[in-house]
Amino acid sequence: MAIKSEKQARAEKKPPVKIKVNGRWHEFEPGRDIEPEMTLSYLLREKLGYTGLKVACDEGACGACTVLMDGKAVLSCMKLAVEAHGHEVLTIEGLPEDDPVIQAFAKQCEPGYGTALQCGFCTPGFVMAAKGLLNENPRPTTGEIKEGLSGNICRCGCYSGIARAVLHASHFSPCPGQSARQASRESAQKGGKQ
Amino acid sequence: MTPPRPYTPRVARKFIGTYRPRIDALEKAAGKVQFVDDITLKSRFPGMLYARVMRSPYAHARIKSIDASLAERLPGVKAVLTCKDPEVSSLKPTSAGWTDGVDTVSYERMMWRHYRDRRVLGDHACWATDEVGAVVAAESEQLAEDALSLIKVEWEVLPFVLDPIAAMGPGAPVIHPGIAPRNILPKDTVGGKDVFVDKGDADKGFAEAEVVIEATSVHHNATQASLDNWCCLVDWKRDKLTVLSNSYEADQTRMHISQMLNLPINKVRVISSYVGGQFGRGDTGDQPFFLFTALLSKKTGRPVKFRHSRRESFHDSRQPAIYTGKVGAKKDGTITSMYFKSIGNSGAYADHTMFALKFAPTEITEVALAHIPNVRMESYGVYTNKLPACMMRGVGNSQFNLIFGHVVDMLAEKLGLDPIDLALKNFGHEWGGLPDRSLTAVLREGEKRIGWRAKRHKPGAGPVFDRVMKRGVGFSFHPAWHAEWQEARRGEIRVRITVNPDCSVVLDAPTVETGTGSNTCNVLGCAEALGFLGIGPGDIVWPHTVDTETSLKDCVQTDSAVSYLQSEVVARAALVVKQRLLEKAAGFLKARPEDLDIADGRVYRKAARAKGITVRDVFRLGDMLPVVVEMGRPPNAEKTGVPYIANFAEVEVDTSTGRVQVLKLVVLNDCGTVMYASGAEAQQIGGQVMGLGEALTEEIIYDEATGVPLNFNWIDYKIATMADMPEIDPALLEVWRGAGEYGACGIGEGTLTCTPRAVLNAVYNAIGVRIDDIPVKPEKVLKALGKA
Repeated sequence: MAIKSEKQARAEKKPPVKIKVNGRWHEFEPGRDIEPEMTLSYLLREKLGYTGLKVACDEGACGACTVLMDGKAVLSCMKLAVEAHGHEVLTIEGLPEDDPVIQAFAKQCEPGYGTALQCGFCTPGFVMAAKGLLNENPRPTTGEIKEGLSGNICRCGCYSGIARAVLHASHFSPCPGQSARQASRESAQKGGKQ
Repeated sequence: MTPPRPYTPRVARKFIGTYRPRIDALEKAAGKVQFVDDITLKSRFPGMLYARVMRSPYAHARIKSIDASLAERLPGVKAVLTCKDPEVSSLKPTSAGWTDGVDTVSYERMMWRHYRDRRVLGDHACWATDEVGAVVAAESEQLAEDALSLIKVEWEVLPFVLDPIAAMGPGAPVIHPGIAPRNILPKDTVGGKDVFVDKGDADKGFAEAEVVIEATSVHHNATQASLDNWCCLVDWKRDKLTVLSNSYEADQTRMHISQMLNLPINKVRVISSYVGGQFGRGDTGDQPFFLFTALLSKKTGRPVKFRHSRRESFHDSRQPAIYTGKVGAKKDGTITSMYFKSIGNSGAYADHTMFALKFAPTEITEVALAHIPNVRMESYGVYTNKLPACMMRGVGNSQFNLIFGHVVDMLAEKLGLDPIDLALKNFGHEWGGLPDRSLTAVLREGEKRIGWRAKRHKPGAGPVFDRVMKRGVGFSFHPAWHAEWQEARRGEIRVRITVNPDCSVVLDAPTVETGTGSNTCNVLGCAEALGFLGIGPGDIVWPHTVDTETSLKDCVQTDSAVSYLQSEVVARAALVVKQRLLEKAAGFLKARPEDLDIADGRVYRKAARAKGITVRDVFRLGDMLPVVVEMGRPPNAEKTGVPYIANFAEVEVDTSTGRVQVLKLVVLNDCGTVMYASGAEAQQIGGQVMGLGEALTEEIIYDEATGVPLNFNWIDYKIATMADMPEIDPALLEVWRGAGEYGACGIGEGTLTCTPRAVLNAVYNAIGVRIDDIPVKPEKVLKALGKA
C-alpha cells in the first residue's frame, strides 16, 4: 500500500502538503510522509510527536483528539491530514503554560465542583475544545459551556469542575467587545451552580 | 440551585482535608503528562513492531485448522504465532482474575484457581471477538491487520448461548465442560458453596415475620470505558524482558509474566506510568495479551507494541446479575429474615464473577446485615458466550445494592414506614449498636439536601407538571468502601521518605497514577507529617513512575484505599525522620536527642525554645547525606466497623415519551477523615457519570441471532457528556472513625454504588410503577406504564 502510493506520488510529482503546526510550517511529501488516508491525529502524534492530543475512540465520539484549525476546534481523528493543507493547526503544545484555560483547569478546586481533571487523559481535548468555544463565544454561560463541550467525554466525570474552569477562564481572558448585557448575564450566572 | 456547602473537618489540619489543586494539575492541564501510547511512539523505539491479534467472528467456535503461510510471506511481516506453535500451546491455562489487586499472588495462589478457563491464544473461541488463533508482528498496524486477513482458518462453529438461565438449562451448549459441566461455576475455596451465607434460620425468620415482600432486580453488562485503551510494549532482549504498559498493578504484572513464561522475577521489568482511567478494568496485569506480545518480541528480537482499538477495549465489564430478594419483618419494621439469590452471567470466562456474586455480598453481610438475625444468600455464576467480566468500580456491590435498596424501599412501603426510618432501625455493623451513627448521618443529611419531606409523596401520587411530567425522589445506601482493617491481606505497605540537605523531600509511595487523587493525598499526608520541617506540599516530589526494578512494591489502586493507606505509613515514617534529625543535631547542640525538638524547620532545646539551629544547618554542619527512612507496615487490623454511603436522587419522568431525566443527585460519603477535599468531591461528582450511565443509558447490546455484540463504540454505547449531567451535590462527612492517624476509608468506588437504585426508587416514587432492570430506557418506562 505504502509502496504503491510512493510510486504514484513520484510519477505525478505531487507538491508537498504544507501545514502550519504551532506556529511553524511543515512540509510533507506525499507517499513518503503523508498518505491520502492518514488522519490529522496520526500525523500530529506519530509523525510530529505532538502527544498532547489523544486518540481514544478514533471515530469522532469522544473529543480527546481535539485541536484547533484556524482557531476552530476540530476532531483530528475525523480530519484527513491532507485536509489541513494550507491551514494553521494548534495543539495543546502550542499553548503557553500561562494560557488562561490551562491555568483555570489546573487551579479548579472550588468547593462543590471537584477538580477539572483526574486522570488527565481527556484534558488536552477539553482544553482545546474550550479554546475553540471561547474563540467563538468569549463569555459563554454555563449552559453554553455544557452545550459547547458536549462532544467530549470525561470518564472520570469532572464535568462540574470543567464547566467551572471554563467559566473562570472566560473571565480571565481579555474581551474588549464585551457588552453590558453580556456582563450582567455572566454575573447572574456566576452565582448559579454548573 | 443549591450553593455549594464545603464540609467542615472534624480535626482542622494544615494540609490533609483541604480544598486545593491536585499535585499533577498543571502538568495534566497543559497536556504534558505522558501515557503509555505516548511513551511508546515509534520515534522513541525505532525498531518497534506492531502486533495485531485474530479475533473470533463467532460467539462460540473452535479452530480446526489454521494456515498462516501467506501471512508470513507478506513483506513487512516479521513474525506470526499461532495456537499450533509449541511456545504458545505449552503455556499453562490461566485466568484474568489472579488477584483482586489487594495482594500479589503466584500462579498456584491465584484467587480463582478453580476456574483456570483461559488459554493464551487458544483454539477455542468463547465469545465473539475473543482473541484466538494467531497473532502477527509487522512494521505497521495496518500490515499486521492485512496479514491477519491472509490467515486461513477452518472454523467449527459451535452452538452458543447468551442468557444465563438458558445456559443453566438442559441441552444448552457447554462452554468449559472440564470446569463447569452444566455451565454453573462450581463451589470454590474463596467464594464458597452455592448457599454461601446461611446465618440463623432464614425460613424460621420468614415464618415469624408479619410482613414478607419479594423483589427482583437485574443489573446489566456495563463497561469501564477508560479513555486510555489497553496498550503495552514488550522488549525482550537476551534473557531480560521489559514491559511498558497501562496495567495498574506493576508488581502483579511482573509476577504474572514471570510465572507464565518461567523467567526469574528479576528478569522481568515492568514500568507503569500515568494511566488514563482505570475503574477496575482488567484488574491485575494478568491479561494474556502481555504474554503473546512478549513471545513476539522474543521471536523477532525487537520491541513489540500491542494496543487495543476502542472497539477492542470493550474487553471487560461489570458482571450482569439477576437478583431476587425476600425480606420478612415485624409490623414495627424489625427485619426478621433476609434471603437473596443471584444468577450471574459470567460471560465466556469466570475471571472475578464469584468475587461479585459471593465475595462482596459476604463482606456486606458481615457489616451491614450484622443485626439481621437470619440471612441466607445463594448464588450461581453461569458461563455464557458473552463478554467476560473482571472488576469494575464497586465490583459486586453495585449489583447487590440494586436489590438491597429495592427491598428496603418496597418493605417500607408495605409497612407504611419511611424507608429512612426502616433503614436506621435495622442496619449498622457488628461492632456497633442501632441506630448506627454513620448511617444516621448520611441519611439525615441526604434527606435534608434533597428536600425529602417536601418532595417525597405516595408512589405516583405527586403533582403533574406540563400535563405529562411526574417527579419523584428516592435513595439508596450501602456500607462504605474499605476501612484499614479490611485491607490486612495487603501485607506490608512500603514507603520511603528522603529528606535532602535543603529540606526538600522525595516521597516514594509508589502506586500507579490512574486519576484517583491518591498521589495528592500522599503528598498532603507527607507535608502534614513532616510539618516540623516547615515545608509544604510544593517541597515534596512524588515520583509517578512505578518501575519494578527500582521502585518499592506498588500499592494497588483497589478498594479505593490508597488515599489513606500510604499516608498512615508516612505518618509513622516521619517520626523516625524526626528522630534521625534529632540525633544528627544532638552533637552540634551538645544535648541529648530527647532534650531537643523540631518545629518550623528549627531544632531547639525543649527548655529554651528560642535557641537552636535550622535543620538545614544540621545537614550543612554534618555529612550532607540525606536522611532516608524506609518503612513497611501492615494495615492496622483493629476492627473499627464501617461507615456508610448514600445517594439521593430526584427525577422527572415524561410519561408521554418514557424519558427519565435526573434533576439532582446528592452523593454522601462518610469518609472518616477527608484526606483531600477537592479530590474527594471530584470522585463523588465524577462517579455519577458511570452511575447514571449504568442507570439510564449504558448497555452492551448483542445480536441475539449471532451472539455478536453490536455497540462496541461510544456512539452507540452511550456515556453521559457534560450536557447530560444533572446538578450534583457532593456531601463529605466525618462521623465514623477508623484506626490510625487519620482513620479514613476509601470512597471512590462507593460514590456510584447506590446511584442506579436511588434513581430507580425515585422513578417508582414518580410514576408508581416499578422497573426492575437497568438501564431505564424510555421503552421500559412506557411498558411499565402500560403504554407500549
